[in-house]
Amino acid sequence: MKTLIIEIIEPKRLGELVTVSREFCEKPDIVAVGAGQIPGSFAKAYQVEDTVASNLVSDLASLILKEGYEIVLLSASTLGSGIAAPLSIKLSAPVVSEVIGIKPELVVERPLYGGKAVATYKLKKMPAVLTIRRKYFESADLQGFTEPTLLGPGGKKVELIAETEEKAEGIPLEDAEVIVSGGRGVGSAENFSMLQNMADFFNGAVGASRGAVDEGWVPPTQQVGQTGKIVAPSVYFAVGISGASQHLAGIANAKCVVAINKDEDANIFKRARFGVVSDYKKIVPVLIETLKEEA
Amino acid sequence: MHIVVLAKVVPDYEVPAADFELANNRAHERYKRMMGLYDENAIESGVQLKEKYSASLTILSYGGKDDIPVLRKAVAMGGEKLSLVVGDSDDPNVIAANLKMAIDKLEDVDLILAGQQSADMDRGVVHGMLAEMLEFAFIPQIAKIDREDGQWKVIQNTESGSRELKFGGNAVLSITSVPENVPRIPTVKSIFAAKKKPVNELAEIEGNTMPIDEVSVDIPQIESVCEFIPAEDDIAEAAKILLRKLREERYI
Repeated sequence: MKTLIIEIIEPKRLGELVTVSREFCEKPDIVAVGAGQIPGSFAKAYQVEDTVASNLVSDLASLILKEGYEIVLLSASTLGSGIAAPLSIKLSAPVVSEVIGIKPELVVERPLYGGKAVATYKLKKMPAVLTIRRKYFESADLQGFTEPTLLGPGGKKVELIAETEEKAEGIPLEDAEVIVSGGRGVGSAENFSMLQNMADFFNGAVGASRGAVDEGWVPPTQQVGQTGKIVAPSVYFAVGISGASQHLAGIANAKCVVAINKDEDANIFKRARFGVVSDYKKIVPVLIETLKEEA
Repeated sequence: MHIVVLAKVVPDYEVPAADFELANNRAHERYKRMMGLYDENAIESGVQLKEKYSASLTILSYGGKDDIPVLRKAVAMGGEKLSLVVGDSDDPNVIAANLKMAIDKLEDVDLILAGQQSADMDRGVVHGMLAEMLEFAFIPQIAKIDREDGQWKVIQNTESGSRELKFGGNAVLSITSVPENVPRIPTVKSIFAAKKKPVNELAEIEGNTMPIDEVSVDIPQIESVCEFIPAEDDIAEAAKILLRKLREERYI
């Protein structure tokens, strides 16, 4: 099937979409969004510099119709969600968002009810637009580079004035092998420094639940969950996190979850490999002390 | 200035996985009905715009009449009018087409706000579809909205930070949650006032359904068996045991 990937130039995200594309074709085409070289080997590459989703929809729809693409893949990201639904209307195409599984015969799976259920759909018409949830598919290794044809510029409706990167100290959340995550139970922004201290010993990163982000203790870029980052570390420490299904949807692929919670009935213990029923303010400093002694 | 906020009433999204059950591939009817969580952020954002720019604010929903009491909460938060298209489809094309019909009837709409995704379908596509049907721009994940020199200036949250965007025309914005738009709790007085407001009920139109078949809906089983490490007596020992076990099983 003729498959088109639309994605910003970020090797891990591109790699995941390349892996997904192999379910549909041998070698996909790509529209690379933003500046820079396009890593990986694609049958045909297009590049568009404008990174504002709503400015791209028209040109993308024309390209898809002209070239006869049957499957359009994006990641479930700010860009992908900005493009997918409007594009589906332009193309009269089905759209399935946050896809977590792909089966033969155009059958796809996605979560419902905050990850408490999984729905299976069969696509009945081409082209079809899919957004792929991050970290559910291995990222393919991208070799070499592909020379693009420039696309656009299209009609600019929305203007990008400024872009701010949230300064992340140390290792990015998605790449960390160990994540120490805190929820409302952590109690304050200051208390998060204790979690940071612990994460540092593992060369890890600090994450948070939506509750802690809503309190303003942690920036939104550190939110883990179905509407935050999807992570797949080796160890995920959930500190003062009750374990709502929306949060668990972000750690479905974590290898080992360690729950530290005062409430022995907290839902997080149902997902955890190891559990400590304790006030984190007691156990975390002792864990840090023990790690310090070993170092 | 006329702002419309799209709101959807859903089954209690805080029901834990262990207590969750399906009936006919949807959440069992016994769960409490409530406003979707991001929809509440969108309503709060709409009310703030109303207060700041003296805008008029309409709450629009597609769903069942039984959910009107829940929708009145949005009115109590600061919405002025409440419109409901009465229907029961889960199909995003059908929902978007019906919302478009209702928006067309409202005529002078400047800005449409919606939650970033519903708390039942988890899709985040209806608002983007509606935008395209209306030929409005669609901008997801908005954290802040301002009006400057006849243009909208918004902050969009991304995976790596945020962006500042500017546009002049009409748009549908999906709203994410930030400390600044945590929903307010309506006063008792406004709750009572909201109960008296009329609801503009609209009959559903037939929209094209999306060309996909729902094959099945299942509840995945969580298969983790938690090994509890005793921490009541000797917390230092608990810390040592935990780290040892993580190493033995080669997690760290």
